[in-house]
Amino acid sequence: MAQATIGYRSREEIRQLQMEQLQVTLNRAYFNVDFYRRRMDALQLLPEDVASVDALARFPFTTRQDLAAHYPYGLFAEPLKSIVRLKISNPTWLDQDRPIVVGFTRHDVGMWQSLMVRLYEQLGIRERDIVQVAFNFSLFPGAFTFNHAAEQLGATLAPSATISATLQLQIMQDFRSTVLATTAAFALHLAETLERQGLDPSSLHLRLILLGPDPLVESTRERLQTVFQVPVYGLYGVNEMVEPGVAGECPAQDGLHLAEDQFLAELVRPATGEPVPDGHEGELVLTTLTAEAYPLIRYRTGDITVLREAPCSCGRTSARIAPILRRTDHRLSIRGIPLYPEQVEALLRGIDPLLDDFRLIVSTRYGIGEQLELQLARTATHDFPGGSRPQYLDLVRSHIRRALGLGARIQLVAPEQLPQEGLTYKTVFTQVPRR
Amino acid sequence: MTFHVAKGEVVALIGSNGAGKSTLLRVVSGLIKPSEGTVEFAGVPIHQLAPERVVRLGLVQVPEARQLFPNLTVLENLELGGYLFGRKHIAASLPDMFDRFPILYERQRQKAGTLSGGEQQMLSIARALMAKPRLLLLDEPSLGLAPLVVEEIYRAIQALNEQGTTILLVEQNAMGALEIAGRAYVIETGRILLSGDARELMAHDDVQRAYLGRDYQHKWER
Repeated sequence: MAQATIGYRSREEIRQLQMEQLQVTLNRAYFNVDFYRRRMDALQLLPEDVASVDALARFPFTTRQDLAAHYPYGLFAEPLKSIVRLKISNPTWLDQDRPIVVGFTRHDVGMWQSLMVRLYEQLGIRERDIVQVAFNFSLFPGAFTFNHAAEQLGATLAPSATISATLQLQIMQDFRSTVLATTAAFALHLAETLERQGLDPSSLHLRLILLGPDPLVESTRERLQTVFQVPVYGLYGVNEMVEPGVAGECPAQDGLHLAEDQFLAELVRPATGEPVPDGHEGELVLTTLTAEAYPLIRYRTGDITVLREAPCSCGRTSARIAPILRRTDHRLSIRGIPLYPEQVEALLRGIDPLLDDFRLIVSTRYGIGEQLELQLARTATHDFPGGSRPQYLDLVRSHIRRALGLGARIQLVAPEQLPQEGLTYKTVFTQVPRR
Repeated sequence: MTFHVAKGEVVALIGSNGAGKSTLLRVVSGLIKPSEGTVEFAGVPIHQLAPERVVRLGLVQVPEARQLFPNLTVLENLELGGYLFGRKHIAASLPDMFDRFPILYERQRQKAGTLSGGEQQMLSIARALMAKPRLLLLDEPSLGLAPLVVEEIYRAIQALNEQGTTILLVEQNAMGALEIAGRAYVIETGRILLSGDARELMAHDDVQRAYLGRDYQHKWER
């Protein structure tokens, strides 16, 4: 009831609802999670001292390192008996030995699903729609939420997973799919396939395309809208909370509406943690408001965006974030697979102690990482791990594939041939020409 | 602690004895002045107002254990309820009370102290209604009543709500309160530990374990 209409309430009403849920979250975190209790005790802070959203700033941030340090169940606020789902968050180079485990109670799972239903409804997806969901489910566990929510909505679900682009397009025609949900990278591949086959987009029945979990880049949107002749929308989620579901676009395509009944958003300067004024860039910090199993208080998402509270032209009053501009860390994404240059470095140095330097060359198209090439600089011409030089390259290639779930081109170059690294650690981006 | 009641809602505050529910209700109705914090009614701060001013604004409390005047008749008790609004208002409101609670019409000449527990509770609610509440505050309306009588009282509360009165209800009887409320807050030792849709709360493990009196011993295991 309150949840269905949250997007249309006045800012004061939204604030009141958030304060009520915040007190519940803080109380439950204080009583049920030792980590939060110790922190609050150390600051001589009681849950009731947080009497306003501004007062929440007294509370310390929770970081990904905190989550990893309490692996596996240290931050759970509910007994395992009440947990119906566990999710392993994408491990990063920071927590190689300790992944992050997020728990969900039945209520939490229902909440996640209802958030996705809301995102669908926000885009006008109805029970008459046929929703084709094309994700690699093993790489993106949140993809199931697209399925469950489509069913809950009463739409017709066509999960097409990882079948080829040609078959996807055929299904799209034959099933008369009206909605396509997939990654930006795969949507671009579909667009190319469509053009190559000379298919007329009007032979499809598509009404809209929904892309995730990576942020939607404007040039991707333009390209896809031109090819498919339908609007293209993005959404946002946080791996350590729910992904997707935290925010999503409306038909106005002017920012992603936050689910403010479930999450309290702050925007801070990444370096100092100070609040950023409305309309300025900052790191998104989220507090869960109804999560039972895994409450997170002031969690640093690492995502840089802009937060706006002004009402949207669609009529909704919920605050909006801009599509994520960049990360506070060096996280890269290749075809939707997240990786860190530091992680690659640790891997390479582990294989070959004689390695001098390296670069990650990421080819991007429409702003999306498409291919990874590793350039290795090695002055030593002896002691190649694995035997000969070709065997060495094979060894690196297979290690990378196993560790990252990603094929990469590996090249040995002279140290002076390595390109200058950019803003991202040891990484260079090259643009593949647009077709 | 913070909570709200929107126009037209039935909201329940549930929690065990000593959780602070009744104190909270008395703060809302102006019987206790808060040492800090604010109470707003329709956008107006009321926590500094005298209780009778609060009643005039339309916020009327039905006290716990009914607190009727036992030696006055049913009719006299009702008239006292409308006292702030004058004779005309009383005369105009009485028929409506008797329509709503026919038993009170039958017993109007009887002393309030001679009524049964359920009848006293009805009289207590009717007396509060005489003060034209926009928001009716009910403190443990089911206390000490037989189950069938409780149902009758709850039906009366629901009917009131359907006719436009907003209701804030404090109850130890969590199951009953959650059945008539749209939303609820669960209070423990002065803190709100849960809030949300009443139906969802009814199914919540913590609520079942703590308040619904079922054997949920196994849920304590961690």
